[in-house]
Amino acid sequence: MASIEVDEFLSQPPGRVWQALTDSALLARWLMPNDFKPVIGHAFTFRTEPVPEHGFDGVVHCQVLELEPPRLMRFSWRGGDLDTVVSWSLAPEGTGTRLLITHDGFDDTDPAQRMVMGILGGGWRGHLIRQLSILLAGDQPT
Amino acid sequence: MAGPDVFDAIASPVRRALLDELTGGARSVHDLAAPFQMSRPAVSQHLRVLRAAGLVAEERVGRERHYRLDARPLRAVADWAAHYEQFWQRHARMLRDLLEEDS
Repeated sequence: MASIEVDEFLSQPPGRVWQALTDSALLARWLMPNDFKPVIGHAFTFRTEPVPEHGFDGVVHCQVLELEPPRLMRFSWRGGDLDTVVSWSLAPEGTGTRLLITHDGFDDTDPAQRMVMGILGGGWRGHLIRQLSILLAGDQPT
Repeated sequence: MAGPDVFDAIASPVRRALLDELTGGARSVHDLAAPFQMSRPAVSQHLRVLRAAGLVAEERVGRERHYRLDARPLRAVADWAAHYEQFWQRHARMLRDLLEEDS
């Protein structure tokens, strides 16, 4: 299954980080306004700017799928053409936390997403994405 | 948006690896064949499929033919993937700043 992975070292322990990930008001400060509650099965939305050219109305529909404080949260992420799953996993590292963000489960019925999965196989290879972006930057329509 | 040829072209792991190799710049068939331990005719066959899909362009350099990546059919995909990678990188930094600020 294709996924984007981003990881970040945070100097606070997992308990502190977990709070920032699962408190609706804190979540709004680093991600997007939301009506999140840390309850498995809870349906919530994130609200952001619409992107009409991608058929995105600015609302990301989510549902909490897994919740294992202070280690893992998985939630569905549906908006525009996307029907995906986001995972946040936390591991203690020294006195801080390694946060791994994984965005996966791209819909294989959508041609563009199917193509990405085809190209990138088991995971998004950052260097290929960056190379393609650089190559394409030269002939952007203006 | 990419046509069906593009899907066929990238369905093969060998052809995906060739595309990956070409992100480093134009290559001759000889150069492309070496890392894959494939015969030149086999590589040429794959390159024909990639050319038909518009993903690879051929150019003559002296007596050799060189192949270069033409990523335009992948624009939508690349833009989209880069968008989400950047989205999470940006917000991870915002999370870091928020935690620093509140410490």
